[in-house]
Amino acid sequence: MRNFILLIRRYHFFILFLIMQGLCFYLLVMNNSYQRSAYVTTSNYVVGTIYSGYSQLTDYLKLGITNRQLAEENALLRQLDTANYYDQHFHWNKEDDSLLIQQYEYLPARVINNSVNRINNYLTLDKGSLHGIRPYMAVACGSGVVGIVKDVSPHFSTVSSLLHSDTRISSKIKSNDYFGTTVWSGNSPVIGQLRDIPSHAKVKVGDTIITSTFSGIFPRGIVIGKILELGNSGDSFKDIKIKFSTDFQNLSYVYVIRNILKEERDSLEAKTTTHAD
Amino acid sequence: MLIEIFQHLFRFILLVFIQVLVLNKIEIGGILNGYFNPFLYIMFILMLPVNINKVLLLFIAFLTGLTIDIFSGTPGMHASACLVLAFIRPGFLNLIAPREGYETTLRLNISGMGVRTFVVYAGVCTLVHHTVLFFIEAFNFVDILNLLLRIVTNSFSSFALIMLSQVLSQRTKDSTL
Repeated sequence: MRNFILLIRRYHFFILFLIMQGLCFYLLVMNNSYQRSAYVTTSNYVVGTIYSGYSQLTDYLKLGITNRQLAEENALLRQLDTANYYDQHFHWNKEDDSLLIQQYEYLPARVINNSVNRINNYLTLDKGSLHGIRPYMAVACGSGVVGIVKDVSPHFSTVSSLLHSDTRISSKIKSNDYFGTTVWSGNSPVIGQLRDIPSHAKVKVGDTIITSTFSGIFPRGIVIGKILELGNSGDSFKDIKIKFSTDFQNLSYVYVIRNILKEERDSLEAKTTTHAD
Repeated sequence: MLIEIFQHLFRFILLVFIQVLVLNKIEIGGILNGYFNPFLYIMFILMLPVNINKVLLLFIAFLTGLTIDIFSGTPGMHASACLVLAFIRPGFLNLIAPREGYETTLRLNISGMGVRTFVVYAGVCTLVHHTVLFFIEAFNFVDILNLLLRIVTNSFSSFALIMLSQVLSQRTKDSTL
């Protein structure tokens, strides 16, 4: 502070001169239209140059933020595309009949993700728990069995495809009602195995395999495939190769099948089993 | 002392009137227009006492310029030029001072300083003042040759008028002007 005062005292003449010149300049610019316009133009040029340089610099520094904003905006715009909208319009196809009580309901769903080339393949459907889908519901399509619902979220559900090492479908041979289990053989997406068919059963190539009601998941009579090859294992059970009727590589719309009476049946069977123990 | 103040005050009023009412009205038509507009009033600042307080000199010069500005409708222009003149005046006087320095009673006119010294003093001060003045008036450097020409011709006319008034006041033995 003392130095500042000394500075002022030493240069007071010059400082006063500058202050008064500043006042003159102010008067000049405020009162003379030519000088004002010249001043304004100059200041605009100077200020404009500085600002444009500054904004170039900050633009560069803000590239990260700008990119993120653009990405968000792109996402927003893409979201407007109807292809991205989730169709809330749905209904279980239900028949009211006084003679027949409906046991299975069908809900159409779209396949939004699918795989066929892994050991365990899953599908993702665009319907979920909000639409009444629960785990262990059956999934089929027009040409045959697809799989069993594994997990559900409010809007989506995943399906253990028939092309899954753990999927077992209760099935039977349509012509003679021998029942067995269909599993995936694990290689080709079109070839499966039918197990547990007793060796004395009369089967021939080309016989149709359909679902049985034993598991309580699938309704009776949904096509699984046709017998492709009969092996001779020499055991008490036949070794049957089947060809799936469902084209898993080309699935777009499927039905989720709800067994209305499943709970009743499950609780009854559980009760029976408990009593038997 | 008081008489001296009144002398300066009288000179101020007289020079401002001459400047505003006569010299500012000069219109040389045609190609010479704008090249010969003398500013005699700066003689008032030139002739202020040699030992005047520098700060007071600044204020007086500022007010003188502002007075001319008010009559000319150019606020700030002459005031700024006069400030520069007042700013350089003390230093320049020291620069051209005789070896023994100025006497406090010295009058800054042609008889007090001598013709040669006064010519240098008035000439340089006029040139400085006019340079500032015309640069402010132009406010750009677009036609700089024409601007320099105007500075030179106008400084010459002002200087000539200052010398003329000095000579005239000498001849009449009246040192007021």
